Amino acid sequence: MPESKTDSVRLTIDGIPVTVPKGTLVIEAARRVGVMIPHFCYHPKLKPDANCRMCLVEVEKMPKLQTSCSTVATEGMAVRTATTVVNDAHKSVLEFILANHPLDCPVCDQGGRCDLQDFSHQYTATASRFVETKRIFQKEYFSPLIETQMNRCVQCLRCVRYCDEVMDVKALAPAGRGTMTEIKTFGTHELDCEFCGGCVQICPVGAITSRLSMYEYRPWMLKRADTVCQFCGDGCQITVQTKDNELIEVNSEYGAGRNSGDLCARGFFGFRATGHPDRLTKPLIRRNGALVETTWEEALEYTAQQIARIKNAHGAQAFGGLISGRCTNEELYLFQKFMRLAIGTNNLDSSARYGHMNGVQAMRRVQGTHRWTLSFEEIVQADVLLLVGTNVTETNPITGLKVKEAVKKRQARLFTIESIRPAIGTISNITNLVDQHVCALPTQFGGAVLALLKAVVESRLVDQRLQHESPDYVGAVTQALERLSWPELEAATGAARDTFVQMATGLAQGRRVVVLAGQELLRSAGGYGSCLLLLDLLLLTGKLTEPGCGFAPLAEENNDQGAVESGAVAELLPGGLDLANPEARARIARAWKADLPLAAGATLVEMIDRARSGLVKGMLIVGENPVGSLPTVVGAKEALQRLEFLVCQELFLTETASLAHVVLPAASSLEKAGTFTNQEGHVQAVRPAVDPIGESRPDWEILSALSVLLGTPLEYGDAKELLKEIRGVIPGYGLLGPAPIPPKVDRAAVERYLAGDYRRALAARYTLAGPADAAGGTTHLGLFQSLFHSGKLSTRSKGLLQIEAQAALRINPADAARLALADGDRVRLSNRRGEVTTTVKVLERVPEGSAWFPDHFGQDTAKLFECAIDPDTNVPAFRTASVSIAKIS
Amino acid sequence: MTLSEKYGTEIAEILSRYPVKRSALIPLLYLAQREGGYITEAAMIEIAGILKLTPPQVYETATFYTMLNLKPVGTFHIQVCKSLMCALVGSDTVIGWIKAKLGIGPGETTADGLFTLTAVECLAACGTGPMMQINDDYYERLTEEKVDRILADLKSTGSCALKTGPFMWPEPARNG
Ligand code: SF4
Ligand code: SF4
Ligand code: SF4
Ligand code: FES
Ligand code: FES
Repeated sequence: MPESKTDSVRLTIDGIPVTVPKGTLVIEAARRVGVMIPHFCYHPKLKPDANCRMCLVEVEKMPKLQTSCSTVATEGMAVRTATTVVNDAHKSVLEFILANHPLDCPVCDQGGRCDLQDFSHQYTATASRFVETKRIFQKEYFSPLIETQMNRCVQCLRCVRYCDEVMDVKALAPAGRGTMTEIKTFGTHELDCEFCGGCVQICPVGAITSRLSMYEYRPWMLKRADTVCQFCGDGCQITVQTKDNELIEVNSEYGAGRNSGDLCARGFFGFRATGHPDRLTKPLIRRNGALVETTWEEALEYTAQQIARIKNAHGAQAFGGLISGRCTNEELYLFQKFMRLAIGTNNLDSSARYGHMNGVQAMRRVQGTHRWTLSFEEIVQADVLLLVGTNVTETNPITGLKVKEAVKKRQARLFTIESIRPAIGTISNITNLVDQHVCALPTQFGGAVLALLKAVVESRLVDQRLQHESPDYVGAVTQALERLSWPELEAATGAARDTFVQMATGLAQGRRVVVLAGQELLRSAGGYGSCLLLLDLLLLTGKLTEPGCGFAPLAEENNDQGAVESGAVAELLPGGLDLANPEARARIARAWKADLPLAAGATLVEMIDRARSGLVKGMLIVGENPVGSLPTVVGAKEALQRLEFLVCQELFLTETASLAHVVLPAASSLEKAGTFTNQEGHVQAVRPAVDPIGESRPDWEILSALSVLLGTPLEYGDAKELLKEIRGVIPGYGLLGPAPIPPKVDRAAVERYLAGDYRRALAARYTLAGPADAAGGTTHLGLFQSLFHSGKLSTRSKGLLQIEAQAALRINPADAARLALADGDRVRLSNRRGEVTTTVKVLERVPEGSAWFPDHFGQDTAKLFECAIDPDTNVPAFRTASVSIAKIS
Repeated sequence: MTLSEKYGTEIAEILSRYPVKRSALIPLLYLAQREGGYITEAAMIEIAGILKLTPPQVYETATFYTMLNLKPVGTFHIQVCKSLMCALVGSDTVIGWIKAKLGIGPGETTADGLFTLTAVECLAACGTGPMMQINDDYYERLTEEKVDRILADLKSTGSCALKTGPFMWPEPARNG
């Protein structure tokens, strides 16, 4: 056949003409003209498998029926989907499936949204010609969260293929053959996997279901609310289903949101955290040293009184505020406005300070944006990806899926600098998919980037134009790199020069180069400098301003990005405007019709320090838990205990809230309206799925009520009104569209950087970090985020606790052998700051000499860590320490 | 002892035959089966490690092939072909004879652990059915007397001269 020159083909479906891109499958072409061809095994996310034969169609000039799910549309094709022959074929396929299908519909959770039910109804299959007994599988226990009922299975293998192709977990196996094929994991073992719920979602029938809500509902009883997951910066769209104000299940429809319907364990199984019996339902006030229940009136009046008293006695600077990046944009915005106007201070900060600010400040400095210049689409379409300190599967699982898609489906080259060993495990491991991998300690991520930069320079991969236009910059960087020797770089990173040369060459050759920096890099000491180095890397290879290329620091909390953009950090005003810039200040002052406080604000740890020294006397903490999050050396608890007045708005009585004088019960994100901004900068609607628990109220309402009592009314009818005001201040903010349009690199900023700003602290960031911590011991202890938890909230989720209930120290098999340790053994971790005991879990992906401890259970280990404050961004880094491990018998 | 410890060189040789490592899965499973007549979980986990697969991926393949045993089998694993050609010339009867003589049906093992009986699909000796395979050997054109002698010989000496295969076409003249 002669090759057609165009990129599209024309065909007809039941006589209806349609033009589709080359390579489109017939089943998809039919969908375009509204013809739904019945199918089981086909799913747009998966490679065609054509195993169920349900989708047969007639194609003119082809002697036999064809499976439309695996037949590519060609020019001039005439497809018929509703002829007698086709209908008969569909009926017979159904007859075969139903020959073995139990009469389970009345007790099946899928009943009412089951493809098999729908097709049976459509083809009104009546009598079956099969008289044989039905296939019967013995019921086996599968897992705490996922239930299988294999008699219902139609053997389409979607679950198995999803787990392999999309998740790269490969936890499911079709065991046996023929009719007796049964979906299992490994022998009689129970399922141990990422628990993403993907198999539950993709099963067309009720063969794989969630145990969290088993037998509790019929689908048509459920009320749906499309909202956004509260557990990480990926910002997945979820559909929360409720019955009588009770949370029943969470799922995400195919194609929905930025996650395109995929979720992780936190999103799929973590939803019941907010309904935990420990939720605060009434305001609490401290009387005779104890927190007791009170009324909203009293709590608010007392709070306003105390704020006013402190302000009058000591001035506005004696007050500080912290807010969690879990709050909505509306709340973050109102919080900073409240702090700046109602109280009159810039002493305010949010959880973005724990790491996200390192990425944001680096982007602002080099490329003049406070956001990614990319979106998820660019990650998927990248041809070269560099991941640095992401642990992406566990921190930002859906970003991880985008990377997997780029590599597995589109053959992108993947380079990683991670503190992970490639190894097959029960959850996927991104370093299994790499082209080149450097397994470095988090303290040496910067060193690895330096080695990469050195390889770029030495291999003459520096962009010609840059060389020509900014010889000073290139010269200064080259000179700085000359001071570093390969032997010391190789010793620090544990990787050979050749690895870096290969990576550098790959990066320089790439046309769509995307660099992702994750939590482990952003939260490490020198995280800001390392982000600058990565931007230098993109600059030097000439990629930074190229379309499809860019730098993407991953956000930890679901709305860390929103916190930055709403101005809920000391140094930034809404819209990422610089507080120190008089023009910016004037603009916001005009919008607010009020003057802004001038004095630079204290950031997170500075506020704690000022509380200790008595400079700060009162604090408002909204959903943030510094006592539970910061290491013991910071002394957050002692500092906050010295406050004359502490008020917390919280879901639970956290370590911080239990020190407060007043605790105000806040509504969770499943109970309120607003918007979240994900790490791409996509502003998404948050919708209430259930009513606020007890007397709890959305944080913005509480702030608004307080402002009235303080005589600086910031009043809004609802969250929408707040968003309207935000849009006035940040033009065009959050026009909730299908996809965000990322900002472009600001060339003026790049020029400013190249013209001389790069010199600021150049030598410092072009230096290898020394041995990080000398507190004792040879094991590198690192706090890490587990896939199954996020902050402290998830540890209240029954579902997630069923997967991971307790903290366990992850160690490498070789270290375990050396110390004669097995899963569950108890060990003592110690250094000169203190000691703790815990249990171990042996994991192959942990590098030898390292030990990981899950962050959300980290309170015990908090005493082992030192805290380094970044001089430029004030980000506290406290996630690594050196310790010794000893077995306790 | 692990397979790698015991058969290191052989495993290396098997791996060297395939440009794509995963292709070595069946030969390795076969090697594991040689060890104790069936494939243990430990062996599957070890093979998964060698080939960078997950245990479920190995399990999937191991359960697909009837020639791979996942449960212990007797010293002599009798596999009687039950596919069409053999069925037409009496594979049912062969299974009946064995049942009468050893007291075991398909899927069962004698109490002394000597014999396991399995009914399997076509073993590609259709021209000389009914037939069975015992361990690595074929026995074809079975009659009741032949089955008697085969079982008796195996019991007493551990081998039987009636073995014919693996069968090749054209049928060797000495067959009978
Ligand atoms: S829940 Fe587990 S088995 Fe199911 S698709 Fe996800 S990783 Fe695979
Ligand atoms: S369990 Fe569901 S998705 Fe998996 S093969 Fe069976 S019917 Fe298909
Ligand atoms: S935790 Fe992150 S990746 Fe997981 S569902 Fe929520 S937003 Fe998506
Ligand atoms: S959907 Fe086409 S064969 Fe299953
Ligand atoms: S049918 Fe028995 S060997 Fe082929």
